[in-house]
Amino acid sequence: MSRFRRFLRTPEAVAGAIILAALIAMALSASLLFPGDPQAIAGPALLPPFQDWSLPLGTDRLGRDVLAELFHGARTSLAVGLAAAAAALVVGSVVGTLAGFADGLVDEVLMRITEAFQTVPSFLLALAFVSVVGPSLGIVVIAIALGTWTGPARVARAEVLSIRERDYVASARAVGMHPLAIAFREVLPNALPPVLAMSSVIVAAAILTEAALSFLGLGDPNRVTWGGMIAEGRAVLRTAPFLSIVPGIALVLTVLGVYLAGEGVVETTAVRRGLS
Amino acid sequence: MSLLTVSNLTKRYPRGGKSIAAVDDVSFHIDPGETLALAGPSGSGKSTIARLVLRLIEPDAGRIEFEDNDFLALSGASLRARRARLQTVFQDPLAAFNPRATVARVLDDPLRIHGIASRSERPRRIAALLERVGLAAELASRAIHEISGGQRQRVAIARAIATKPSLIVLDEAVSALDVSVRGQILHLLLDLQRQERIAYLFISHDLGVVRAVAHRVILLDAGRIAESGDARAVIDAPRSAIGKALLAAAPRLHRTRP
Repeated sequence: MSRFRRFLRTPEAVAGAIILAALIAMALSASLLFPGDPQAIAGPALLPPFQDWSLPLGTDRLGRDVLAELFHGARTSLAVGLAAAAAALVVGSVVGTLAGFADGLVDEVLMRITEAFQTVPSFLLALAFVSVVGPSLGIVVIAIALGTWTGPARVARAEVLSIRERDYVASARAVGMHPLAIAFREVLPNALPPVLAMSSVIVAAAILTEAALSFLGLGDPNRVTWGGMIAEGRAVLRTAPFLSIVPGIALVLTVLGVYLAGEGVVETTAVRRGLS
Repeated sequence: MSLLTVSNLTKRYPRGGKSIAAVDDVSFHIDPGETLALAGPSGSGKSTIARLVLRLIEPDAGRIEFEDNDFLALSGASLRARRARLQTVFQDPLAAFNPRATVARVLDDPLRIHGIASRSERPRRIAALLERVGLAAELASRAIHEISGGQRQRVAIARAIATKPSLIVLDEAVSALDVSVRGQILHLLLDLQRQERIAYLFISHDLGVVRAVAHRVILLDAGRIAESGDARAVIDAPRSAIGKALLAAAPRLHRTRP
């Protein structure tokens, strides 16, 4: 409870949480408020915002409702961002724990693989992966996770290297626990906090990467994405700049919200651990 | 036949380019139900010997025979199974437990791993273990960090006896406790030894405690055995230089008789 109160006392964390809540509300209410296909034609093409109140944010080049697209786009951004970050964190902490705990050859092999992934720019990796395998939501998630799991892996390994020397790990060995059980039951849960602290940055980066992929036409073509909307608007950037600006603002706010809320959570838990 | 026979045990560590022997050609044996103390100043190799005997680290040379088996030849599943007979209690009762664990989970692990009790039977066994070490069964649901240091060390002892071992390595097991609690824990250990015939490898730098609980003592200096023999005889009249130094350093209450 006190942790929650401390969270509320940090203004930027509250701002982040509000933005995030609004985003989640948008994503959840998308099919309620805007039933049917958001990519269907809803009115005249290139209607500017605030002209027709049944289409408050106007329409794009093909006459699609921008507000509906924005709401449905929130779904894609959030789903891809969270799924990619979750995948990166899970894969990263498992690889890092195994590398740190196994020592020797396993450590060497896993860390060289990690470095191999790190040397390739993560966006290039995602780009190459999607263009080879083909764009769909699942593939985009995997592509983004492919470039981001290395950070959590390195942090987890460093933490595990320090934890495995503690007495309780020696106790678990003396009791006769299996090494894998020690790694995942005794060590990993205690190595997680610094890894989870990276999650806000990873989610924010994943949302941006997804937008960039969609902008380049490598997003899932059957889904509305903010990146795709910006790309659509680019052709008419001079005559109808709002088509790029509206999803652009949404994107900036989302990344900011995720980052601020995440930092707020990390901050408050860090204070708590410092006190105890 | 002795329970544990250690012969010519050696462990070296590299330090500054050359290797230093932390344990240098050490041999000893422990009989069933006996307490052998390893005493010596810091850095004399006491804890290294404890970790070698527990197979937490591997020796560079030497043999360890435990219950008539070559203990160093075991590996993997057979080593893990054999560990049930050779348990340990560490010095720091807080560091020896996973900070997220509850008392019940700590005691559940050995029972589960060695298949001693079925899932439905375990809560009852855990309660019995807690009772055996003088704790209330209700303590089982508490987190490790919620109980006191003395209670924690009792839980550590309960964990060690859960698998019915024949030997427990006590690595400075009472050194971190305050004096009144220390007496109670020593009493509990002696009581367990009498009833279950458990042997102890008792590691301590406190000669007073060693004299009170050990049958035999080995004094270590720089990884070598300096002196060994009957605990009282050695501590009352040490012949080695390190023994005399340790005795002189031990704090004592000087009383003038009226």
